[in-house]
Amino acid sequence: MEHGSYSDPSKSTFSFGDEDHTFANSVRFSLNQDAIYADEALSLLLSYSPRVSFCGYSIPHPSDNRVNIRVQTTGDPAREVLNDACQDLMLMCQHVRSTFDKAVSDFKKGKTRKGNKDMNVD
Amino acid sequence: MEGVSYARMPRVKIRELKDDYAKFELRDTDASIANALRRVMIAEVPTIAIDLVEIEVNSSVLNDEFIAHRLGLIPLTSERAMSMRFSRDCDACDGDGQCEFCSVEFHLRVKCMTDQTLDVSSKDLYSSDHSVVPVDFSDPSNHESSDNRGIIIVKLRRGQELRLRAIARKGIGKDHAKWSPAATVTFMYEPEIHINEDLMETLTLEEKREWVDSSPTRVFEIDPVTQQVMVVDAEAYTYDDEVLKKAEAMGKPGLVEIIARQDSFIFTVESTGAIKASQLVLNAIEILKQKLDAVRLSEDTVEADDQFGELGAHMRGG
Repeated sequence: MEHGSYSDPSKSTFSFGDEDHTFANSVRFSLNQDAIYADEALSLLLSYSPRVSFCGYSIPHPSDNRVNIRVQTTGDPAREVLNDACQDLMLMCQHVRSTFDKAVSDFKKGKTRKGNKDMNVD
Repeated sequence: MEGVSYARMPRVKIRELKDDYAKFELRDTDASIANALRRVMIAEVPTIAIDLVEIEVNSSVLNDEFIAHRLGLIPLTSERAMSMRFSRDCDACDGDGQCEFCSVEFHLRVKCMTDQTLDVSSKDLYSSDHSVVPVDFSDPSNHESSDNRGIIIVKLRRGQELRLRAIARKGIGKDHAKWSPAATVTFMYEPEIHINEDLMETLTLEEKREWVDSSPTRVFEIDPVTQQVMVVDAEAYTYDDEVLKKAEAMGKPGLVEIIARQDSFIFTVESTGAIKASQLVLNAIEILKQKLDAVRLSEDTVEADDQFGELGAHMRGG
């Protein structure tokens, strides 16, 4: 559920039911990656095109399963920026998954090679 | 895509991998992602556990609900869990949540006939689906099999009988801890230890030994050949400041500098046996992706919130 104003789509609060710190903190981190910094040196980078001026989350009451995420942007609609942050996170998850898969198969290969070496000695 | 992602992509390296235990490093990511992974592993990876028990005969010393509670806590091999449907979402069954797509049926029939006490264990639970059975921790080697009798549910005397039918369903740890596939999941920041060699040289061998011994875990050691203090196991450091306090007490603050690297984590995952440890991590990542997907695709309703909205007041600290 999005609480925003019809005239200014760049600032709004998103209210999620059935979510908690697990989701909210990682989305906040992902939004922060896109955040505007006051650092001048950083702002001279060509690739620097930040869209988020404020992002944060709060949990109104620990007994209710509800999380509010506040997003304020530098002009783009807040909903799009949030969607893109989720997208980035999903890509990162996908990357972690494939990296983990590869690490597991590398580890297993390393183990069987060692096992074969031991068998040869016998 | 409109926005450019500045997130560096995380790296994974596996240290140890057994069926129910995995230790791996996760680098170039933030604590919030590591914590999200940990939370999902404990509370949101689905498994299968007994959820409904119909007792026909129970003349044991434990009462019905006690036994039902114990049955629920028995870990069942849950490879099928990710592809199964939740009972509440299943449209194939006629409303009672007991069809073959969303549940697994078990039965237990034991009667004690001898004078010796009969142990009713998880090995006596028979499943209707051979891929979902109580977890068996026994080693394949022979001499172990006589020791492992499975998880004991109840003990029966001569004449006592237990007959029941149990339905196991898919669920997540958030609903009830019996569905949590993780025994423990921990992560720690990787420590970076820098020894100030010049300051270290001003200590006698006896003082060095004393300082090395002041750490509750074996992080440092004295090389017998060069008589130098070396870091033997940086990760044994538990972030107690004993060595720092000892250095100050000896009059040499700054003897060693220990920093916790904010973007490097060492995960230790122990599973109950319901799912393999490596599979647990993969499932957790999958669930996290599904959550994000659900949020991304949800049709949000926009409520115009001017100054008098309740939510606005909360966000402004009202």
